[in-house]
Amino acid sequence: MNPKRKQRLILISAMVIGVVVAVSLILLALNENINHYFDPTQVVAGEAPQDHTFRIGGMVVNGSVQREVGELMVSFGLTDYQKTVTVTYDGILPDLFREGQGVVALGKLKDGVFVAEEVLAKHDENYMPPEVAASLKKDPPQAAN
Amino acid sequence: MNSFMKWIHKWGSPPWFYRVSGMMLPWLTGLFAITLVYGLYAGLVLAPADYQQGDSFRIIYVHVPAAWMGMFIYIVMAVAAVVHLVWRIKIADVVLISSAPIGASFAFIALVTGSLWGKPMWGTWWTWDARLTSELLLLFIYLGIIALHSAVEDRQSAGRATAVLTLVGVVNIPIIHYSVVWWNTLHQGTTVMRLDGPAIAPQMLWPLLSMAIAFKLYYVIVMMLRARGEILARETKSRWVRELVGGE
Amino acid sequence: MSVWQAFIELLRRDLRLAMRRRAEVANPLLFFVMVIVLFPLGVGAEPNLLERMSAGVVWVAALLAALLTLDSIFRSDFEDGTLEQLLLSAQPLSVMVLAKVVAHWLVTGLPLLLVAPLLAMLLGMKSEAMGTLMLSLLLGTPVLSLIGAIGVALTVGLRRAGVILSLLVLPLYVPVLIFGAAAVDAAASGLPVAGQLYILAAFLAMALSLAPVAAASALRISLS
Repeated sequence: MNPKRKQRLILISAMVIGVVVAVSLILLALNENINHYFDPTQVVAGEAPQDHTFRIGGMVVNGSVQREVGELMVSFGLTDYQKTVTVTYDGILPDLFREGQGVVALGKLKDGVFVAEEVLAKHDENYMPPEVAASLKKDPPQAAN
Repeated sequence: MNSFMKWIHKWGSPPWFYRVSGMMLPWLTGLFAITLVYGLYAGLVLAPADYQQGDSFRIIYVHVPAAWMGMFIYIVMAVAAVVHLVWRIKIADVVLISSAPIGASFAFIALVTGSLWGKPMWGTWWTWDARLTSELLLLFIYLGIIALHSAVEDRQSAGRATAVLTLVGVVNIPIIHYSVVWWNTLHQGTTVMRLDGPAIAPQMLWPLLSMAIAFKLYYVIVMMLRARGEILARETKSRWVRELVGGE
Repeated sequence: MSVWQAFIELLRRDLRLAMRRRAEVANPLLFFVMVIVLFPLGVGAEPNLLERMSAGVVWVAALLAALLTLDSIFRSDFEDGTLEQLLLSAQPLSVMVLAKVVAHWLVTGLPLLLVAPLLAMLLGMKSEAMGTLMLSLLLGTPVLSLIGAIGVALTVGLRRAGVILSLLVLPLYVPVLIFGAAAVDAAASGLPVAGQLYILAAFLAMALSLAPVAAASALRISLS
């Protein structure tokens, strides 16, 4: 092998190694919770930070929404079908907010209750006519995330 | 020379491209009209309302194909950039720079329609969600490509410099696609292109696919029109252009 | 001369040149300090607000300072013809580009890194976050220099390169900014920061291996 070719080989292998290192670091990072997102099970288990803002996501429990009369204050249960966390929110909820609907809330934990600063309705990636949804509700498939 | 290279070189010759694209344009336009009319009618009138979102879900018939096109056009540009840099094919350069404004427009449409959708659905016009941010970055990269191309005076180095920039910007594409998976933020997950089949009712899916084809055809048509103009401008002095316009 | 020797020689030459123009080295640093000082004056000196913003402010200021200095990677060498000599040399151009970028980072990035904790303290950043701030800047600022080198290489021949350069480079800087600031924020909130730092390190590995090649081919185009 002439020196020129050898040099080129070394440079290219250095590049390949660099890319491989980058990819494996990204895979490592994906195992970490980098977006401060917790589901109710983790919150109940005490994995979520106290007095720090984080995001929680889950489904609104059917029949759990309670409104204060004459105020905007709302409280509801948020579940991942395993554990449930109570969320309170003082503000206007988005249109899509309803029971059984996915929600992402941003806020802090206070005495086991999640005090939301912002509630956003996350609609799922499924699209279907109302009749189909109604028949699905009768015998629901496995819990969606 | 193998057949692939032959094909590339054939398409790479400006007179050939000009002639063939001229023959294809009427057909493409007809197909475009059919898919667009069917897609819009079936999507806006025939398809049932969504179980959750009611009629506002119908914006997917513009939003989703536009978002796909924003990425698709970038990938086409990246391929054109490789072809241009490796084989020095002139047409690849023309395709690249003719595509950039179209891609930017589609990315912009995806952002605007997404924002119109976000207000009633999520309760906010804009959120710094990973998908939204990376789509915004895609728009900025398109604008950077256009800016660089117009800033470099020498045509030839402008084309090659834009090609390099396009390839550097490719890192953003997987980030956009996987953003909804990696960061569990507001934007919903993938509906259509998933391994276990689309999560959308068939009578809603067909219009969407039809719109996607219509958008792709629209892109090809506009890109060809722009490319034809660009080719004529670049080859003004060549013999075939003179013969074409019938003057000396 | 072996590649390694050439790398070291070029690095030493660039550093020596930089040391002869100390004012030019100090200016970006001054800019960094002044941008950070502007924030409390502009948004008000409320300690809680400043503390919450500190990670983002330091990172944005570092990014702007890096952007400001980018032009110097190739500009003066382009003007006096050194760059053309470099293109003609027998050494692989990407390695030479890497040497120039490393020199540039040592002159502009490293000082930023050293002043950053002081400025973060002015903004009231919690001391727990300082280590992460340094680490994130250590991983992130070289990426800024590396990506910037591609942008400068593409625009070095242009007359009004400044605005175009920022248009090209800023969108590519955004991911670094997001994860850098997020790491510091997480550290200030007492959350684990490993994820963000892994991603920054991944950016660095990716940029180290690919950016010099891209910048080298961009230089060839700009000088052709």
